[in-house]
Amino acid sequence: MLMRILVCAVAFLVVMPVGAQTHSQAQSWRTPWGDPDLQGSWSNATTTPLERPAKYAGREFLTKQEQAAQNTVTAVATDKRDERGTPDDVNGAYNGFWWERGWSDGRTSLIYDPPDGRIPAMTSEGKKRQGQARRSQNEAYRGAGPYNGPEDLELYTRCVVRAALPRVPTGYDNNYEIVQTPGSVAILQEQIHETRIIALDGRPHLDSGVRQWLGDSRGHWEGNTLVVETTNFGDQVTFEGSTPNMRLVERWTRMADDRIDYRFTVEDPATWTRPWSAAIAWTKTGNLYEYACHEDNYGLYGILAGSRAQEKEPGSK
Amino acid sequence: MRRCLDVASSAAVVSILAVTAAAQAPTYKAARLAGTDRPNLHGLWQALTEANWDIQAHAAQPGPPQFGALYAEPAGPGIVEGNEIPYQPWAMAKKKENFEKRLTRVNTDGVRLEPLDPEAKCYLPGVPRANYMPFPFEIIQGDKKILVAYEFASASRLITLDKAEPAPVESYMGWSNGQWDGDTLVVDVTGLNDKTWFDRAGNFHSDALHVVERWTPAGPDVLQYEATIEDPKVFTRPWKMSFPLYRRLDRNAQFLEFKCVPFSEELVYGHLRKQTGK
Repeated sequence: MLMRILVCAVAFLVVMPVGAQTHSQAQSWRTPWGDPDLQGSWSNATTTPLERPAKYAGREFLTKQEQAAQNTVTAVATDKRDERGTPDDVNGAYNGFWWERGWSDGRTSLIYDPPDGRIPAMTSEGKKRQGQARRSQNEAYRGAGPYNGPEDLELYTRCVVRAALPRVPTGYDNNYEIVQTPGSVAILQEQIHETRIIALDGRPHLDSGVRQWLGDSRGHWEGNTLVVETTNFGDQVTFEGSTPNMRLVERWTRMADDRIDYRFTVEDPATWTRPWSAAIAWTKTGNLYEYACHEDNYGLYGILAGSRAQEKEPGSK
Repeated sequence: MRRCLDVASSAAVVSILAVTAAAQAPTYKAARLAGTDRPNLHGLWQALTEANWDIQAHAAQPGPPQFGALYAEPAGPGIVEGNEIPYQPWAMAKKKENFEKRLTRVNTDGVRLEPLDPEAKCYLPGVPRANYMPFPFEIIQGDKKILVAYEFASASRLITLDKAEPAPVESYMGWSNGQWDGDTLVVDVTGLNDKTWFDRAGNFHSDALHVVERWTPAGPDVLQYEATIEDPKVFTRPWKMSFPLYRRLDRNAQFLEFKCVPFSEELVYGHLRKQTGK
């Protein structure tokens, strides 16, 4: 099993520069109406971290040995078996198989600009804001509580949204479906079954007073690349500490039958001292399935019910 | 000359056939999806019915009295063909019970009972209901799949076109296999769970629900929608609903978010909040 996983991992390709796509290949990925064809089911899973770990400072790529070692760690964590009948066989194996972390893409970070692979320094305003957000949300998420009502839990635990845009890979369900029609591109996110509908007809953005969880996206083609600008984010969701005025530009370029080069650039002068960019391969995957989350959300129910029960215990506040 | 007469007479035959066909079926010929021979269904669509309140014909009803006329129920002619839903006897009783228990109740022992109405709880609305809720939805028509994105609860469906696959697992929005019957998109929907309702009146189904939808362009800004409902566990025979869908033509119309989970939390979890000031 482990060997099979490793063979898959070796087959995973390093993200190629966009310029590597040949003209004739690009011609074959066309919709019947002549647009570049990005349609299909895609996964952005990868274990390559967003930011470059300190131990790889100054290096953009892993050695082959380092990449193989990282993939072995992933494979073992996903198929956490030991000798039959031992505690280690049961402990973890039952809950490890459904992780879908992907593999190392051979780079040391998804961020390629700035060249140090790290999120640029925060502005003092950004630091102050992030400190407050950490106290109010992340600590609660890590089990500190208190959980007086649903608002004290993370948006994901509440099944409102999985994460802010732009989407970076997580442990599982990194799946997207792209469907195109003349004048529009739709991107369905498996988590949490939302669709981004991106108009290509040049219409202006929504009024700045209309804020949405996933913002408001407008797109156009630059050669074979879909370029999408998203604004109008709300104030309850943040990407790495961003404000609702973050400007997000994303690019999708078909590189192979089974691969899209996806890049994003975020800019938010109230948060970071400069814009920054990352590249993530989207690879072909199987069908998307319904990720019903809020329906019978026993986890959230249990957390709140448990907190109320604890308060009734003698000696509790 | 003879040749000209032939042409003229065949033209006459063609026009007679066309008139005959017009008497039987709509003659509207929709614009094609560019580069294909399929009608183009792309757009932001919305039903204009009161069926989300009750799919059967109904008179106006008052709403919660504290809101005056605001949330009162408008009258509607219904969307069920023949207006009868052929429930099995037990199921007719269950429908009435659903309606009575739709919102939070407290029993005689002071115990809170779950509200049953899935729309109130912001659950994924299921098929066919998603198509006649009072919210727009967008059809994004690709050449390989069609995606239907609903504003309500950020629900979505992918309709296969190139291959019919059996439903892999049951779900709220089901598994949709599409194929073209002339200019009509026929979608076979299976794998639906028993947790959605047809309306706020408590009309319901089981997990044996099978829906066959027919989406037919009837004008540049109108789709005629028809659904055949089959569920041998709940109904005595298949039945049909039908209604038109209209293109949203208002200036700046676009697909917007209606993420209602936060709106439903007080109803769903309010009783689990920490009570302060006691």
